[in-house]
Amino acid sequence: MISRKDLGLLILILVVGAIVAIINPRFLSPINLANTANLIGLFGLFAVAQAFVIISGGIELSVGSIIALVGVVFVDLVANETLSPGLAAVVALAIGALIGLVHGLLVTRVGIQPFVVTLCGLLIYRGIARYYTEDATAGFPFGASFPTLEWLTAGRFYGVPHSLIAFVLVTIVMSVVLHRSVFGRHLFAVGKNEEAARYSGIRTTRVIVAAYVICCTLTALAAIFIAMYTRSISPSSHGNFYELYAIAAAVLGGCSLRGGEGSMLGVVLGTILLQVLQNLVNLLGIPSSLNFAVMGSVILLGVIADRQFTSVGSRRAAKVPAATTTPAA
Amino acid sequence: MKTTLATVALAGALALTATPGMAQGKKTLAFVVNGASDFWKLAEAGVKKAQAELPNYTLQFKYPEQAAAAVQQRLMDDLVVAGVSAIMVSAVDPKTSTAALNRVGGQVPLFTTDSDAPDSNRIAYIGSSNMDAGKQAGEIAKKALPNGGKCIGFVGLPGADNARERIEGMKAAIAGTKIELVDVRGDDIDQTRAKRNVADALAANPNIDCMVGFYSYNPPRIYEVLKESGKLGKVTVIAFDEDPITLGGVKEGTIAGTVVQQPYEWGYQGMKLMAKVLEGDKSGIPANKLVIVPTKIIDKSNVDAFETELKARIRG
Amino acid sequence: MNASILSANGVTKAFAGVLALDRVDFAVRPGEVVGLVGENGAGKSTLMKILGGILAPDAGSVGLDGVDLPRLTVASAMAGGIAFVHQELNLFDNLTVAANVMIGREPVRGGPLRLVDDAALERRTAPLLAQLGADFAPRTPLSRLSLAQMQLVEIAKALSLQARVVIMDEPTSSLTASETDRLLDVIGHLKARGVAVVLITHRLGEIERCADRVVILRDGRRVAELAGDAIRADTMIAHMIGRDLKTLYRAPAAPPGPAILELRALRTPYRPERPVHLTVHRGEILGLAGLVGAGRTELARAIFGIDRPLAGEIVIDGRPVAIASPDQAIAQGLYLIPEDRKRLGLMLDFPIRQNVSMAMLAGRSAATLVDLEEEEAVAARERDRLGIRAASLSLPAGALSGGNQQKVVLAKWLALSPRILVFDEPTRGVDVGAKSEIYRIMRELSDAGVGILMISSDMEEIIGVSDRVAVMHEGAIAGLIERDGLSEEAILSLAVGRRTR
Repeated sequence: MISRKDLGLLILILVVGAIVAIINPRFLSPINLANTANLIGLFGLFAVAQAFVIISGGIELSVGSIIALVGVVFVDLVANETLSPGLAAVVALAIGALIGLVHGLLVTRVGIQPFVVTLCGLLIYRGIARYYTEDATAGFPFGASFPTLEWLTAGRFYGVPHSLIAFVLVTIVMSVVLHRSVFGRHLFAVGKNEEAARYSGIRTTRVIVAAYVICCTLTALAAIFIAMYTRSISPSSHGNFYELYAIAAAVLGGCSLRGGEGSMLGVVLGTILLQVLQNLVNLLGIPSSLNFAVMGSVILLGVIADRQFTSVGSRRAAKVPAATTTPAA
Repeated sequence: MKTTLATVALAGALALTATPGMAQGKKTLAFVVNGASDFWKLAEAGVKKAQAELPNYTLQFKYPEQAAAAVQQRLMDDLVVAGVSAIMVSAVDPKTSTAALNRVGGQVPLFTTDSDAPDSNRIAYIGSSNMDAGKQAGEIAKKALPNGGKCIGFVGLPGADNARERIEGMKAAIAGTKIELVDVRGDDIDQTRAKRNVADALAANPNIDCMVGFYSYNPPRIYEVLKESGKLGKVTVIAFDEDPITLGGVKEGTIAGTVVQQPYEWGYQGMKLMAKVLEGDKSGIPANKLVIVPTKIIDKSNVDAFETELKARIRG
Repeated sequence: MNASILSANGVTKAFAGVLALDRVDFAVRPGEVVGLVGENGAGKSTLMKILGGILAPDAGSVGLDGVDLPRLTVASAMAGGIAFVHQELNLFDNLTVAANVMIGREPVRGGPLRLVDDAALERRTAPLLAQLGADFAPRTPLSRLSLAQMQLVEIAKALSLQARVVIMDEPTSSLTASETDRLLDVIGHLKARGVAVVLITHRLGEIERCADRVVILRDGRRVAELAGDAIRADTMIAHMIGRDLKTLYRAPAAPPGPAILELRALRTPYRPERPVHLTVHRGEILGLAGLVGAGRTELARAIFGIDRPLAGEIVIDGRPVAIASPDQAIAQGLYLIPEDRKRLGLMLDFPIRQNVSMAMLAGRSAATLVDLEEEEAVAARERDRLGIRAASLSLPAGALSGGNQQKVVLAKWLALSPRILVFDEPTRGVDVGAKSEIYRIMRELSDAGVGILMISSDMEEIIGVSDRVAVMHEGAIAGLIERDGLSEEAILSLAVGRRTR
């Protein structure tokens, strides 16, 4: 069960991967694959999160700032041994859930547009993060070691980074939630046509609030992994623009910014493509300054190709019933 | 009613967060940096020390809310309007801001630090020579790699003047040796990308001999990647600045050495110099208008002393 | 006789297996007014969309100035001078009248700056408005105009495009009598200038007054054409219906039971000063008649929990209930089949099976999984029970004909167990065949003990289906009519606020 859209994306990834591997065979070296897998895990966690809000018909722009805020709080709590890493993680996730709850209520109860709510969030959480450390970098002192936490977040299992394993687990759970659960069905319905969903008895407010809570909580989880990857967080720049990586991955993966469309598999593939592109820039020795330009161009090409495919597809689909209904008499 | 409440709340919030205005009768000197970082915490400590010795002045240390030329420019304009007597600035984009800097410099005495704007009407520059710092990094390399080798550099903004000068300085120092700087990867000051750049470079060039971290956060990322891949100690690491991880690596011997600037001295000496100039004494300014505070090489031999001094200064 | 400007020749068109047009011929000659009448779903709109180039026919051809083409495009229709005045107006209410008339063709000044030349814009619009006898100036903001005035703007736009054929789709449906008179005068002006007019309307009196010919469609077929004095309302009705609707009525199997839904002094946000008292019994179909704007849809929204009632009680089975949102109404077994099916009743892009299971799943815990086998089984059961004609349950609901779409909305509720069903215009845009099936289902439900409240503006439907009729006027119930007293006159006089008895 793989949709035409997702298949197209998979082919694009394989083609790009094959080209890179031909030019620089080290692309396929275990070290490089593990490195890229790690980053796919880190960026995938919050891309999957973003998909929930996009499917609900909204958008979450404060992802980068949440990653910075949760990151500095988590690192600060752990590095200064205020709390055990486990409790610090609970606090971090709770911050994410609370932010999501506030966003969801502002969107549904107060009726502010998601773009506005989360744009304000982007500014507010960035500011709080910087104030929290007084613009200093939050980091672990030299030689500081939290073996369990580090093993959980940055460890490897037979060479597979734990961030990827976490991402795969989260994706499987979230796929079931999105594509098989009653909540997922409600989410698609609300994103597609909120009014009709309400007229069918769906409690649309709850569904939308839940989407933001899921998004921000998963983003907080991603923030913990990212914090343990960089091990040092300068709150003014940490996570800058990460919301755009998430939105790009979701859009590449077939989510419509109008809501009501998208698939988990698509978002996963979108994330993979974005990270392979970044890897490619480094491996092929393309000047770093072109990084974003390469990414933007490939996303654009992907979306254009997708539009071409779907319009051909729908034209073909439209012809089928017409052909079968020509009067036989 | 709601509006009134909101207004009162906003006013209250502003009153709580605002810093005291310009004190009456005292002249105010401002130190404007280019963005938030630990590095500037040291300069702030230096400014604090100067404050203790300059009781007749109010010294301010200002961070722009974003590392953008326009934001910084607005901050300086606001300071001029608020009546500061002199400004020392680390310009975000000195090359293209000459006119804007001149406007500020036309109203109050203007000094530059960290990154110079030689074409502007600034009275003097006080800071490091990035070229010299780069050369010092080259010296570390020559010492650590007597038989030569291939190096990859990592930096935030490869096109920025400080990065270019450090890279050029290093290349000048290693010219004629068997040491070669084959590539420099940029990360736009995104630490996740900074770390992946190191990981990717290691994957693409498993036999690399040496890595250079040109911005303060680059050496820690190099250190972490090497540690995770078990190559710590096998690849020579050359660092800039004094991130705690960097200093730890130097102590441990896994980082060959680091070139440090002395922002503390910029803050301290800079403020004293500005006060003197305002009082009419221009003897502290050399003919070329460049007050160079030399950079230092920190290696295993002097790292402990350096760290002690650093901690003392940050604690103020 | 003049050659035709525009014609449809043996045009056939089907949607998802249902024939909307079956070998229809239709022609328009310069300077004539042609009426096009037929019941909802007779195929009028489809025919006009084909003539306007929006749809392509499955078979047959379209003639433009004597040239036969397999289809027109929107661009070629426009270039051929064919203009539409739609039921839903295509105007921008944030612009002035003149800007709307000249949209996309604004005169410019200022050389390369290409500024809009507002003076020229108004200069060019003014004579068009004068010709139509408009009582507003070109620079009036569109948002200040009445619906009738906006229609004149649409017609002025058509004239400015040098239209030779103006197709008007229900132009008078929302107009007052005097506004209608004015519009018919305008049609006379157009005719005098040699512009042909195609008039689609349910108001047969207007056809009598101004049409040169009338074409009557029924079930997608052209059943008659009348000309001159032969154009009479009763003749047209006879052709449109083809049978007597009163004979459609099927009496309930048993006399109505106790009250299942009572509204006690319910005040809606629409007309808070006019409380509503109304009782629906088990096993009856209560018709709710009234003019557009009487507040019937608003009442349905209040009952269903879309808009909270301001005061009064909703009593179900003798117990007062609090309904603050649709899910609470649904929990009481009270369901609404809304008037705006495409926007409120269905997810057009979603498969039929997901539309059918929508309400059923709305009641389930969000943390459970969708049972795909159950969903499929329920959808298949309701499809068979309601006779939904669709090649597959995976087809999007939007691909179905109006009647089948309405059955899907109904299936959504029948998948649960209804106690009270509120139908708002149940057969609007539904073809005749599906219409009688929907009536049959309504009767079966009421015989099974469901209380049905049916809002309808279709007089034949109200008279042909209801056991009793409540008539609404300005937000309140003006009166109740039992089955044996039911007549068009009785309903109308209550609906316009005339006191009877």
